[in-house]
Amino acid sequence: MVTTHELKEKIIAGLGLEDMEPDEIGDDMALFGDDGLGLDSVDAIEITLILEKEFGVKVTNMDENKNIFSTPNTLVNYINEQKA
Amino acid sequence: MKIYDMDQKAYVDIVKYDNPVTKAEQLADSLYCYAHHIFKVVYDQSQPALKSYIASLEASQLSDDGMQWLFFTSGTTGTPTGVYKTRENSFKQAQALIQTLKGMSFDRVVTTVPFVHIYGIDIGGVVPFELDIDVWVKENFLPEELALEAEKEHTLIVTTPIFIKALNRIKKDVTFKNTLFLTSTAPLPAEEAKMFKEHYGASVVQLFASTETGLISYKTDDETILHAYDIVQISEKNDRLCISSPLVTKKVINNGAKEDVVLPFQTEDIVEIIGEKAFKLLGRSSNLAKISGKRISTIQIESLIERIEGVDAVLIRIRRDDKALKDEILDIYVEGSTLDAKTVRACLKKELGTIHIPFKIHNDKKILRSSVGKKIGFE
Repeated sequence: MVTTHELKEKIIAGLGLEDMEPDEIGDDMALFGDDGLGLDSVDAIEITLILEKEFGVKVTNMDENKNIFSTPNTLVNYINEQKA
Repeated sequence: MKIYDMDQKAYVDIVKYDNPVTKAEQLADSLYCYAHHIFKVVYDQSQPALKSYIASLEASQLSDDGMQWLFFTSGTTGTPTGVYKTRENSFKQAQALIQTLKGMSFDRVVTTVPFVHIYGIDIGGVVPFELDIDVWVKENFLPEELALEAEKEHTLIVTTPIFIKALNRIKKDVTFKNTLFLTSTAPLPAEEAKMFKEHYGASVVQLFASTETGLISYKTDDETILHAYDIVQISEKNDRLCISSPLVTKKVINNGAKEDVVLPFQTEDIVEIIGEKAFKLLGRSSNLAKISGKRISTIQIESLIERIEGVDAVLIRIRRDDKALKDEILDIYVEGSTLDAKTVRACLKKELGTIHIPFKIHNDKKILRSSVGKKIGFE
Protein backbone atom coordinates (compact mmCIF):
# COMPACT_ATOMS: atom_id res chain seq x y z
CA MET A 1 0.00 0.00 0.00
CA VAL A 2 1.29 3.45 -0.92
CA THR A 3 0.90 6.00 1.88
CA THR A 4 0.13 9.70 1.53
CA HIS A 5 3.53 10.42 3.13
CA GLU A 6 5.34 8.50 0.36
CA LEU A 7 3.29 10.24 -2.29
CA LYS A 8 3.99 13.67 -0.82
CA GLU A 9 7.72 12.95 -0.73
CA LYS A 10 7.62 12.06 -4.43
CA ILE A 11 5.55 15.15 -5.26
CA ILE A 12 7.92 17.42 -3.33
CA ALA A 13 10.93 15.96 -5.12
CA GLY A 14 9.28 15.83 -8.55
CA LEU A 15 7.85 19.34 -8.47
CA GLY A 16 10.94 20.93 -6.94
CA LEU A 17 9.07 22.08 -3.82
CA GLU A 18 12.42 22.32 -2.14
CA ASP A 19 11.22 24.25 0.89
CA MET A 20 8.38 21.94 1.83
CA GLU A 21 8.15 18.97 4.15
CA PRO A 22 5.51 16.25 3.65
CA ASP A 23 3.84 17.20 6.93
CA GLU A 24 3.12 20.69 5.60
CA ILE A 25 0.80 19.22 2.99
CA GLY A 26 -2.45 18.06 4.54
CA ASP A 27 -3.91 14.76 3.36
CA ASP A 28 -7.08 16.60 2.35
CA MET A 29 -5.39 19.78 1.17
CA ALA A 30 -6.45 20.89 -2.32
CA LEU A 31 -3.53 20.42 -4.72
CA PHE A 32 -4.81 22.87 -7.36
CA GLY A 33 -6.73 26.14 -7.46
CA ASP A 34 -6.57 29.25 -5.34
CA ASP A 35 -6.74 27.43 -2.00
CA GLY A 36 -4.33 24.80 -0.76
CA LEU A 37 -1.05 24.03 -2.47
CA GLY A 38 -1.81 26.16 -5.55
CA LEU A 39 -0.32 23.89 -8.20
CA ASP A 40 -0.97 24.62 -11.89
CA SER A 41 -1.59 22.69 -15.10
CA VAL A 42 2.11 21.99 -15.76
CA ASP A 43 2.37 20.49 -12.28
CA ALA A 44 -0.61 18.25 -13.14
CA ILE A 45 1.33 16.85 -16.08
CA GLU A 46 4.36 16.34 -13.84
CA ILE A 47 2.23 14.46 -11.29
CA THR A 48 0.97 12.06 -13.98
CA LEU A 49 4.62 11.37 -14.90
CA ILE A 50 5.49 10.83 -11.22
CA LEU A 51 2.60 8.35 -10.82
CA GLU A 52 3.81 6.38 -13.82
CA LYS A 53 7.50 6.38 -12.93
CA GLU A 54 7.32 5.95 -9.17
CA PHE A 55 4.18 3.86 -8.75
CA GLY A 56 3.67 2.25 -12.16
CA VAL A 57 0.21 3.82 -12.48
CA LYS A 58 -0.90 5.45 -15.73
CA VAL A 59 -3.41 8.25 -16.07
CA THR A 60 -4.55 8.33 -19.66
CA ASN A 61 -7.67 10.46 -19.54
CA MET A 62 -7.84 13.70 -17.59
CA ASP A 63 -11.62 14.11 -17.96
CA GLU A 64 -12.44 10.73 -16.48
CA ASN A 65 -9.92 11.19 -13.68
CA LYS A 66 -10.36 14.82 -12.66
CA ASN A 67 -11.37 13.95 -9.10
CA ILE A 68 -8.29 11.87 -8.36
CA PHE A 69 -6.11 15.00 -8.57
CA SER A 70 -8.08 16.80 -5.85
CA THR A 71 -5.99 15.97 -2.76
CA PRO A 72 -3.15 13.64 -1.64
CA ASN A 73 -5.81 11.29 -0.25
CA THR A 74 -7.70 10.99 -3.54
CA LEU A 75 -4.46 10.42 -5.43
CA VAL A 76 -3.29 7.71 -3.03
CA ASN A 77 -6.68 6.00 -3.20
CA TYR A 78 -6.41 5.94 -6.99
CA ILE A 79 -2.85 4.56 -6.89
CA ASN A 80 -3.80 1.79 -4.48
CA GLU A 81 -6.94 0.89 -6.45
CA GLN A 82 -4.90 0.60 -9.64
CA LYS A 83 -2.23 -1.49 -7.95
CA ALA A 84 -4.70 -3.84 -6.22
CA MET B 1 -12.47 25.39 -41.03
CA LYS B 2 -14.21 24.27 -37.85
CA ILE B 3 -13.32 24.12 -34.16
CA TYR B 4 -13.66 20.73 -32.48
CA ASP B 5 -14.10 20.84 -28.70
CA MET B 6 -12.59 17.56 -27.51
CA ASP B 7 -14.10 17.93 -24.03
CA GLN B 8 -17.64 18.33 -25.36
CA LYS B 9 -16.98 15.97 -28.29
CA ALA B 10 -18.70 18.48 -30.58
CA TYR B 11 -17.92 21.15 -33.12
CA VAL B 12 -18.21 24.76 -31.95
CA ASP B 13 -19.52 27.50 -34.22
CA ILE B 14 -17.25 30.45 -34.90
CA VAL B 15 -19.40 33.09 -33.23
CA LYS B 16 -18.99 36.07 -30.93
CA TYR B 17 -18.85 35.37 -27.19
CA ASP B 18 -19.28 38.21 -24.68
CA ASN B 19 -17.34 36.38 -22.01
CA PRO B 20 -15.44 33.44 -23.51
CA VAL B 21 -14.32 31.04 -20.79
CA THR B 22 -13.28 27.72 -22.33
CA LYS B 23 -10.47 27.38 -24.85
CA ALA B 24 -13.02 26.51 -27.56
CA GLU B 25 -15.00 29.68 -26.78
CA GLN B 26 -11.83 31.81 -26.66
CA LEU B 27 -10.78 30.52 -30.07
CA ALA B 28 -14.26 30.84 -31.60
CA ASP B 29 -14.53 34.43 -30.42
CA SER B 30 -11.02 35.34 -31.62
CA LEU B 31 -11.54 33.82 -35.05
CA TYR B 32 -14.93 35.51 -35.38
CA CYS B 33 -13.23 38.84 -34.66
CA TYR B 34 -10.43 38.05 -37.13
CA ALA B 35 -12.84 36.97 -39.87
CA HIS B 36 -15.05 40.04 -39.42
CA HIS B 37 -12.26 42.61 -38.79
CA ILE B 38 -13.52 43.28 -35.25
CA PHE B 39 -10.98 44.71 -32.80
CA LYS B 40 -10.34 42.53 -29.71
CA VAL B 41 -8.39 42.99 -26.47
CA VAL B 42 -6.61 39.77 -25.50
CA TYR B 43 -5.15 38.96 -22.09
CA ASP B 44 -4.93 36.25 -19.46
CA GLN B 45 -7.83 36.90 -17.09
CA SER B 46 -6.40 34.53 -14.47
CA GLN B 47 -3.79 37.14 -13.47
CA PRO B 48 -5.16 39.57 -10.87
CA ALA B 49 -2.46 42.24 -11.28
CA LEU B 50 -2.96 42.28 -15.06
CA LYS B 51 -6.74 42.53 -14.73
CA SER B 52 -6.57 45.48 -12.37
CA TYR B 53 -3.97 47.22 -14.53
CA ILE B 54 -6.19 46.97 -17.62
CA ALA B 55 -9.21 48.13 -15.61
CA SER B 56 -7.21 51.21 -14.59
CA LEU B 57 -6.57 52.28 -18.21
CA GLU B 58 -8.71 54.88 -19.90
CA ALA B 59 -11.08 53.59 -22.58
CA SER B 60 -9.23 55.60 -25.24
CA GLN B 61 -6.08 53.55 -24.55
CA LEU B 62 -7.89 50.32 -25.23
CA SER B 63 -8.61 50.86 -28.91
CA ASP B 64 -6.89 52.27 -31.95
CA ASP B 65 -7.93 52.77 -35.57
CA GLY B 66 -6.93 50.02 -37.98
CA MET B 67 -5.90 47.56 -35.31
CA GLN B 68 -7.07 43.95 -35.00
CA TRP B 69 -5.69 42.98 -31.59
CA LEU B 70 -4.43 44.52 -28.40
CA PHE B 71 -2.41 41.80 -26.67
CA PHE B 72 -1.32 42.36 -23.09
CA THR B 73 1.87 40.64 -22.02
CA SER B 74 1.48 38.66 -18.85
CA GLY B 75 2.54 41.31 -16.35
CA THR B 76 5.02 38.92 -14.79
CA THR B 77 7.86 41.05 -16.11
CA GLY B 78 6.81 44.24 -14.38
CA THR B 79 4.19 46.64 -15.71
CA PRO B 80 2.29 44.82 -18.46
CA THR B 81 2.85 46.02 -22.01
CA GLY B 82 -0.09 46.39 -24.35
CA VAL B 83 0.87 45.46 -27.90
CA TYR B 84 -1.31 46.53 -30.82
CA LYS B 85 -1.34 44.31 -33.88
CA THR B 86 -3.01 44.77 -37.25
CA ARG B 87 -4.87 42.09 -39.14
CA GLU B 88 -2.09 42.28 -41.72
CA ASN B 89 0.44 41.40 -38.96
CA SER B 90 -1.46 38.19 -38.24
CA PHE B 91 -2.04 37.34 -41.90
CA LYS B 92 1.60 37.86 -42.96
CA GLN B 93 2.78 35.93 -39.94
CA ALA B 94 0.55 32.99 -40.84
CA GLN B 95 1.88 33.06 -44.41
CA ALA B 96 5.48 33.11 -43.15
CA LEU B 97 4.83 30.16 -40.87
CA ILE B 98 3.07 28.16 -43.58
CA GLN B 99 6.19 28.50 -45.75
CA THR B 100 8.16 26.92 -42.88
CA LEU B 101 6.02 23.80 -43.06
CA LYS B 102 8.13 22.76 -46.05
CA GLY B 103 5.44 21.26 -48.21
CA MET B 104 4.00 19.01 -45.52
CA SER B 105 0.22 18.77 -45.74
CA PHE B 106 -2.07 18.72 -42.72
CA ASP B 107 -5.70 17.75 -42.21
CA ARG B 108 -6.03 19.43 -38.84
CA VAL B 109 -4.31 21.31 -36.04
CA VAL B 110 -4.34 20.04 -32.45
CA THR B 111 -3.37 22.69 -29.94
CA THR B 112 -2.53 22.42 -26.25
CA VAL B 113 -2.12 26.15 -25.71
CA PRO B 114 -4.72 28.68 -24.51
CA PHE B 115 -5.97 31.52 -26.68
CA VAL B 116 -5.07 34.38 -24.36
CA HIS B 117 -1.83 35.41 -26.06
CA ILE B 118 -0.37 35.88 -29.51
CA TYR B 119 1.10 32.39 -29.84
CA GLY B 120 -2.22 30.68 -29.20
CA ILE B 121 -4.29 32.98 -31.39
CA ASP B 122 -1.95 33.54 -34.33
CA ILE B 123 -0.30 30.11 -34.56
CA GLY B 124 -3.05 27.95 -33.06
CA GLY B 125 -5.93 29.87 -34.64
CA VAL B 126 -5.08 32.11 -37.60
CA VAL B 127 -2.74 29.55 -39.23
CA PRO B 128 -5.44 26.82 -39.47
CA PHE B 129 -7.97 29.52 -40.45
CA GLU B 130 -5.79 30.52 -43.39
CA LEU B 131 -5.06 26.87 -44.25
CA ASP B 132 -8.80 26.14 -43.94
CA ILE B 133 -8.29 23.10 -41.73
CA ASP B 134 -9.99 22.19 -38.44
CA VAL B 135 -8.59 22.97 -35.00
CA TRP B 136 -8.99 20.51 -32.13
CA VAL B 137 -8.87 21.98 -28.64
CA LYS B 138 -9.08 20.58 -25.11
CA GLU B 139 -8.88 22.28 -21.73
CA ASN B 140 -6.26 19.99 -20.18
CA PHE B 141 -4.12 17.62 -22.20
CA LEU B 142 -2.17 14.78 -20.70
CA PRO B 143 0.91 13.52 -22.58
CA GLU B 144 -0.85 10.20 -23.23
CA GLU B 145 -3.82 12.02 -24.75
CA LEU B 146 -1.61 14.17 -26.96
CA ALA B 147 0.25 11.05 -28.13
CA LEU B 148 -3.05 9.51 -29.28
CA GLU B 149 -3.79 12.59 -31.38
CA ALA B 150 -0.25 12.79 -32.76
CA GLU B 151 -0.48 9.21 -33.98
CA LYS B 152 -3.11 10.30 -36.50
CA GLU B 153 -1.25 11.23 -39.66
CA HIS B 154 -1.14 14.72 -41.14
CA THR B 155 -1.66 16.43 -37.79
CA LEU B 156 0.01 19.72 -36.93
CA ILE B 157 0.50 19.95 -33.15
CA VAL B 158 0.80 23.45 -31.66
CA THR B 159 2.29 23.01 -28.22
CA THR B 160 5.11 23.91 -25.82
CA PRO B 161 8.44 22.28 -24.91
CA ILE B 162 6.75 20.91 -21.77
CA PHE B 163 4.85 18.34 -23.84
CA ILE B 164 7.95 17.36 -25.84
CA LYS B 165 9.79 16.65 -22.58
CA ALA B 166 6.77 14.82 -21.13
CA LEU B 167 6.42 12.63 -24.23
CA ASN B 168 10.14 11.84 -24.02
CA ARG B 169 9.67 10.71 -20.45
CA ILE B 170 6.74 8.36 -21.13
CA LYS B 171 8.52 6.96 -24.22
CA LYS B 172 5.29 5.57 -25.63
CA ASP B 173 5.83 2.77 -28.14
CA VAL B 174 4.35 4.62 -31.12
CA THR B 175 5.55 6.74 -34.02
CA PHE B 176 4.11 10.04 -35.18
CA LYS B 177 4.27 9.62 -38.94
CA ASN B 178 3.59 12.74 -41.02
CA THR B 179 2.92 14.74 -37.88
CA LEU B 180 4.79 17.95 -37.08
CA PHE B 181 5.17 19.62 -33.68
CA LEU B 182 5.47 23.40 -33.31
CA THR B 183 6.68 24.70 -29.98
CA SER B 184 6.78 28.17 -28.51
CA THR B 185 9.80 30.20 -27.59
CA ALA B 186 10.81 28.63 -24.29
CA PRO B 187 14.05 26.80 -24.92
CA LEU B 188 13.90 23.09 -25.67
CA PRO B 189 17.29 21.49 -24.94
CA ALA B 190 18.86 20.07 -28.12
CA GLU B 191 19.21 16.70 -26.40
CA GLU B 192 15.43 16.53 -25.81
CA ALA B 193 14.65 17.49 -29.42
CA LYS B 194 17.05 14.84 -30.71
CA MET B 195 15.61 12.17 -28.40
CA PHE B 196 12.09 13.05 -29.54
CA LYS B 197 12.97 12.79 -33.22
CA GLU B 198 14.75 9.48 -32.73
CA HIS B 199 12.00 7.90 -30.65
CA TYR B 200 8.83 9.21 -32.28
CA GLY B 201 10.10 9.97 -35.80
CA ALA B 202 8.53 13.42 -35.80
CA SER B 203 10.21 16.78 -36.10
CA VAL B 204 9.88 19.68 -33.69
CA VAL B 205 10.01 23.17 -35.16
CA GLN B 206 10.84 25.65 -32.41
CA LEU B 207 9.48 29.12 -33.09
CA PHE B 208 11.33 32.16 -31.80
CA ALA B 209 9.08 35.18 -31.37
CA SER B 210 7.69 37.75 -29.00
CA THR B 211 4.42 39.62 -28.76
CA GLU B 212 6.06 42.84 -29.90
CA THR B 213 8.05 41.41 -32.82
CA GLY B 214 5.83 38.55 -33.96
CA LEU B 215 7.68 35.60 -35.48
CA ILE B 216 11.40 36.18 -35.85
CA SER B 217 12.96 32.84 -36.66
CA TYR B 218 12.78 29.08 -36.23
CA LYS B 219 14.96 26.01 -35.84
CA THR B 220 14.22 22.36 -36.42
CA ASP B 221 14.97 19.48 -34.04
CA ASP B 222 18.45 19.77 -32.48
CA GLU B 223 19.70 22.61 -34.68
CA THR B 224 21.55 25.29 -32.73
CA ILE B 225 21.19 28.03 -35.34
CA LEU B 226 17.98 30.01 -35.69
CA HIS B 227 16.86 30.90 -39.24
CA ALA B 228 15.15 34.25 -39.64
CA TYR B 229 12.01 34.34 -41.77
CA ASP B 230 12.40 35.87 -45.25
CA ILE B 231 10.44 38.98 -44.29
CA VAL B 232 12.49 39.54 -41.12
CA GLN B 233 15.70 41.60 -41.13
CA ILE B 234 18.02 40.90 -38.21
CA SER B 235 20.81 43.03 -36.78
CA GLU B 236 22.57 43.41 -33.46
CA LYS B 237 23.32 46.37 -31.20
CA ASN B 238 25.25 46.01 -27.94
CA ASP B 239 24.96 42.23 -28.40
CA ARG B 240 21.17 42.47 -28.41
CA LEU B 241 18.99 41.28 -31.27
CA CYS B 242 17.26 43.99 -33.32
CA ILE B 243 14.36 43.28 -35.66
CA SER B 244 12.84 45.03 -38.65
CA SER B 245 9.86 43.30 -40.19
CA PRO B 246 6.23 43.84 -41.17
CA LEU B 247 5.29 41.65 -38.19
CA VAL B 248 6.58 44.12 -35.58
CA THR B 249 3.96 46.14 -33.73
CA LYS B 250 3.64 49.80 -34.64
CA LYS B 251 2.20 50.87 -31.32
CA VAL B 252 2.41 49.77 -27.69
CA ILE B 253 1.00 50.86 -24.33
CA ASN B 254 3.83 51.41 -21.85
CA ASN B 255 3.07 52.58 -18.32
CA GLY B 256 -0.41 53.62 -19.34
CA ALA B 257 0.58 55.66 -22.39
CA LYS B 258 0.49 54.82 -26.09
CA GLU B 259 3.87 54.93 -27.81
CA ASP B 260 4.88 54.52 -31.45
CA VAL B 261 7.45 51.80 -32.07
CA VAL B 262 10.54 52.68 -34.05
CA LEU B 263 12.32 50.08 -36.17
CA PRO B 264 14.59 48.27 -35.74
CA PHE B 265 13.02 46.98 -32.54
CA GLN B 266 15.60 46.01 -29.94
CA THR B 267 14.81 42.83 -28.01
CA GLU B 268 16.14 41.60 -24.66
CA ASP B 269 17.88 38.65 -26.32
CA ILE B 270 21.66 38.43 -26.48
CA VAL B 271 22.68 36.89 -29.80
CA GLU B 272 25.55 36.15 -32.12
CA ILE B 273 24.67 36.93 -35.73
CA ILE B 274 26.31 34.41 -38.04
CA GLY B 275 24.74 35.26 -41.38
CA GLU B 276 22.18 37.47 -43.09
CA LYS B 277 19.36 35.25 -41.82
CA ALA B 278 21.02 33.19 -39.13
CA PHE B 279 21.92 33.73 -35.49
CA LYS B 280 22.60 31.94 -32.25
CA LEU B 281 20.76 32.75 -29.05
CA LEU B 282 23.23 33.26 -26.21
CA GLY B 283 20.92 34.43 -23.42
CA ARG B 284 18.74 37.23 -22.19
CA SER B 285 19.91 40.67 -21.22
CA SER B 286 17.47 41.11 -18.38
CA ASN B 287 16.73 38.82 -15.50
CA LEU B 288 13.90 36.85 -17.01
CA ALA B 289 12.91 33.31 -16.19
CA LYS B 290 10.32 31.41 -18.21
CA ILE B 291 7.96 29.32 -16.12
CA SER B 292 4.79 27.65 -17.40
CA GLY B 293 5.14 29.63 -20.61
CA LYS B 294 5.27 32.98 -18.85
CA ARG B 295 8.27 35.25 -18.70
CA ILE B 296 8.92 36.07 -15.06
CA SER B 297 11.04 39.05 -14.10
CA THR B 298 13.25 38.20 -11.14
CA ILE B 299 13.51 41.91 -10.43
CA GLN B 300 9.74 42.11 -10.05
CA ILE B 301 9.70 39.06 -7.77
CA GLU B 302 12.49 40.59 -5.66
CA SER B 303 10.45 43.73 -5.32
CA LEU B 304 7.28 41.80 -4.35
CA ILE B 305 9.09 39.83 -1.65
CA GLU B 306 10.84 42.94 -0.36
CA ARG B 307 7.38 44.31 0.49
CA ILE B 308 7.00 41.59 3.16
CA GLU B 309 7.45 43.11 6.61
CA GLY B 310 10.96 42.68 8.03
CA VAL B 311 12.63 41.85 4.71
CA ASP B 312 15.53 44.22 4.00
CA ALA B 313 16.62 42.92 0.62
CA VAL B 314 16.09 40.01 -1.76
CA LEU B 315 18.29 38.72 -4.55
CA ILE B 316 17.13 36.09 -7.02
CA ARG B 317 19.22 33.84 -9.19
CA ILE B 318 17.82 31.51 -11.85
CA ARG B 319 18.93 27.87 -11.70
CA ARG B 320 18.28 25.49 -14.63
CA ASP B 321 17.25 21.87 -14.44
CA ASP B 322 16.82 20.72 -18.05
CA LYS B 323 15.15 17.46 -17.05
CA ALA B 324 12.25 19.10 -15.20
CA LEU B 325 9.12 20.27 -17.04
CA LYS B 326 9.49 23.56 -15.18
CA ASP B 327 13.16 23.83 -15.94
CA GLU B 328 13.94 27.17 -14.30
CA ILE B 329 14.03 27.35 -10.50
CA LEU B 330 14.43 30.55 -8.53
CA ASP B 331 17.00 30.67 -5.72
CA ILE B 332 15.74 33.41 -3.39
CA TYR B 333 18.39 34.96 -1.10
CA VAL B 334 16.84 36.93 1.77
CA GLU B 335 18.41 39.58 4.01
CA GLY B 336 16.87 40.82 7.26
CA SER B 337 14.21 38.19 7.82
CA THR B 338 13.57 34.46 7.93
CA LEU B 339 10.92 33.67 5.35
CA ASP B 340 9.08 30.40 4.90
CA ALA B 341 7.81 29.00 1.63
CA LYS B 342 4.16 29.50 2.57
CA THR B 343 4.61 33.25 3.05
CA VAL B 344 6.47 33.63 -0.24
CA ARG B 345 3.90 31.56 -2.13
CA ALA B 346 1.04 33.65 -0.71
CA CYS B 347 2.85 36.85 -1.68
CA LEU B 348 3.44 35.69 -5.26
CA LYS B 349 -0.06 34.30 -5.67
CA LYS B 350 -1.59 37.63 -4.66
CA GLU B 351 0.17 39.45 -7.50
CA LEU B 352 0.75 36.80 -10.14
CA GLY B 353 -2.30 34.55 -9.81
CA THR B 354 -2.34 30.80 -10.10
CA ILE B 355 1.06 30.25 -11.69
CA HIS B 356 3.13 28.04 -9.42
CA ILE B 357 6.80 29.05 -9.40
CA PRO B 358 9.42 26.57 -8.20
CA PHE B 359 11.84 28.22 -5.76
CA LYS B 360 14.21 27.63 -2.86
CA ILE B 361 14.65 30.19 -0.08
CA HIS B 362 18.08 30.94 1.38
CA ASN B 363 17.54 32.97 4.56
CA ASP B 364 19.90 35.16 6.59
CA LYS B 365 22.08 36.26 3.70
CA LYS B 366 23.87 39.55 3.34
CA ILE B 367 23.06 41.00 -0.08
CA LEU B 368 26.10 42.66 -1.64
CA ARG B 369 25.70 45.82 -3.66
CA SER B 370 27.84 47.71 -6.14
CA SER B 371 28.86 51.32 -5.57
CA VAL B 372 25.72 52.43 -7.42
CA GLY B 373 23.47 50.21 -5.32
CA LYS B 374 22.95 47.37 -7.81
CA LYS B 375 22.61 43.95 -6.19
CA ILE B 376 25.58 41.88 -7.26
CA GLY B 377 25.68 38.87 -4.99
CA PHE B 378 25.37 37.60 -1.43
CA GLU B 379 27.42 36.47 1.55
